[in-house]
Amino acid sequence: MLTMNNINKVYQTDMVQTHALRDFNLQVDEGEFIAVTGPSGSGKTTFLNIAGMLETFTAGQYMLDGVDVGGLNDNQRADLRNQKIGFIFQGFNLIPDLNLFENIEVPLRYRGIKAAERKRRVEQRLEQVGLASRAKHLPQQLSGGQQQRVAIARALAGEPRFLLADEPTGNLDSLMARQVMELLEQINREGATIVMVTHDPELARRAPRNIQVVDGQLADFTLYQGNPAKAVGV
Amino acid sequence: MFLHYIDLSWRSFKRTPLVSMLMVLAIAIGIGVTMTSLSIHHMMSKDPIPQKSGVLHHLQLQTMDEGRTYWSTDDVPFQITYQDALNLQNANLPYLRSAMYKSGFSVHLNSAQQKPFVEEVRLSSRDIFAMFDLQFIYGGTWTQQQQDDIAPVAVISKSINDKLFKGENSIGKSFYLDDIRVQVVGVIEDWITPVKYYDTNNGSFDDPEKIFIPFTIGIANEVNSWGNTNGWKNEQDDTFEDLLASENLWLQFWVQLNNEQEKQEFGQYIMSYMKQQQSLGRFNREELDYNLFNVTEFMDYRGVVKHDNQIMVTLSFMFLAVCIANILSLLLAKFLRRAPEIGVRRALGASKRQVFNQHLVEVSLLGLLGGVLGIVFAQIGLWGVRTSHSAYDALANMDMTMLLAAPVIAITACIVAGLYPAWVVCRTTPAIYLKSQ
Repeated sequence: MLTMNNINKVYQTDMVQTHALRDFNLQVDEGEFIAVTGPSGSGKTTFLNIAGMLETFTAGQYMLDGVDVGGLNDNQRADLRNQKIGFIFQGFNLIPDLNLFENIEVPLRYRGIKAAERKRRVEQRLEQVGLASRAKHLPQQLSGGQQQRVAIARALAGEPRFLLADEPTGNLDSLMARQVMELLEQINREGATIVMVTHDPELARRAPRNIQVVDGQLADFTLYQGNPAKAVGV
Repeated sequence: MFLHYIDLSWRSFKRTPLVSMLMVLAIAIGIGVTMTSLSIHHMMSKDPIPQKSGVLHHLQLQTMDEGRTYWSTDDVPFQITYQDALNLQNANLPYLRSAMYKSGFSVHLNSAQQKPFVEEVRLSSRDIFAMFDLQFIYGGTWTQQQQDDIAPVAVISKSINDKLFKGENSIGKSFYLDDIRVQVVGVIEDWITPVKYYDTNNGSFDDPEKIFIPFTIGIANEVNSWGNTNGWKNEQDDTFEDLLASENLWLQFWVQLNNEQEKQEFGQYIMSYMKQQQSLGRFNREELDYNLFNVTEFMDYRGVVKHDNQIMVTLSFMFLAVCIANILSLLLAKFLRRAPEIGVRRALGASKRQVFNQHLVEVSLLGLLGGVLGIVFAQIGLWGVRTSHSAYDALANMDMTMLLAAPVIAITACIVAGLYPAWVVCRTTPAIYLKSQ
């Protein structure tokens, strides 16, 4: 489903050249739930941004669902991102002016889906995250956990094959974090492929497959469940 | 998607009402100033009689002796002599035509009940009404017989009819022009034209006359012109008779030529007329010359729209440019504050083009609101011009073209101002903002 071969990402300034990712190799199969851990500044978020096509890479090859991402222009990347990928962010990143319904509707609008179909999908996702009764609420009228559930509903609304989560529980207390994690596990069981960046070893342990990024490289992997052969690392 | 963008634009407007109102105000002031000067320029330069401007022709004859110069661009005098006016009016030609000049009288009913008033009067041939499409409410023009017989008749406009006869059908009723008693034969709608194109010698933007009498009455009663009289020759001019016999230039001459062939034939007639006059000792020059301009050509030739006015329009557009520069900086600040939201939208699948379009719709909405408010400001500006300069009464107005142009100019100006901010915001790297939100 996702294959990265020798991906390099270099940030260049006048004075300094920083290798955020160096010869990064990874294969993710359909239906996997992967936790990505590593120290701050190790390149986890850069990996996630490149995986989500929010950033371009300097060298290497990235195939997503059979498409060579390196050859796409901005509009093609936006289309592919819209169709294949759902994002969940640490800060929820809900649009404050839009109510829950409208927030979840955003990716569907960019895909050009008709209003009736948008309504059906949004209501279905709101139901799934247990917030159907709050459809007209604004994000700031919800708790952090509820906001993250809305963000998850938004990520799922487009029925993506691939969910990228960047510290999805980082701003939540432990109870809410557990609820969000349970929701992600449920989504994974329903077939979505999830890659989750986290600092929390407890959460990482709940993922079937762990990978660790150190100094821009896939330094190690630890498998708590399933088959170790699935992970391709250093 | 367009409607969604409008919805987002309106939400954005409400989210930052102060900045948004500031931008609307800036564009409205710019549009108000621009549309005030542009409206006046537009009214000055617009075709005053579009249905006939191509067939109505103003005649100028080069009557001056060889070596004499005139202050027109081609040395041809703007007006003609009485001798030429009379000859061409009486010539056996199939064209509608009129020699004419402006004078004025004290208008009264010779009654203690009615206060006399001074009014400008146009002395012309009976063809003036058909040529210039003047619409009769009652009666019609005077007959050729009445014109030839110097019958004391008049055609008055509606406002004079209202003033003298309380708007009743006044055909057959009489009134006085000084001591000349004239009988009303026709009442026309007031002649409304933004430019007094048929006589640009005495104020191109003065009001048209409201009383018309046969040119022959003026001559018979020695009615002097209230317009310009230009003399170029040293000759006797003590009496009205002297004026009629002189080479003084004081009459206008218009002729209706319906096609190119008629124009050529009339031109040939004029050339032969001038040659015939040479044999009488006039037109003392090697090369005979005349001008036969249609209405729009004549307005250009006379420079009805003054250079000053064009400079004013240019300056007002420069002021609009200053407003646009201010809006540009406000838009840049506003849009960049929104970069995190744009980052989210980009992450959710919005292309750069979609982000760019969303912002262009937003600036267009600002332009529309600014344009509408700008029309209000322009109306205040035009009212100010009308109040301070009565000569601009007919000119300081916005017609439908200008009303529609205002929002179009405003939207275009805002799009120009918004292009760079929209381009900057659509090029933001979403990843930077997703972590920091």
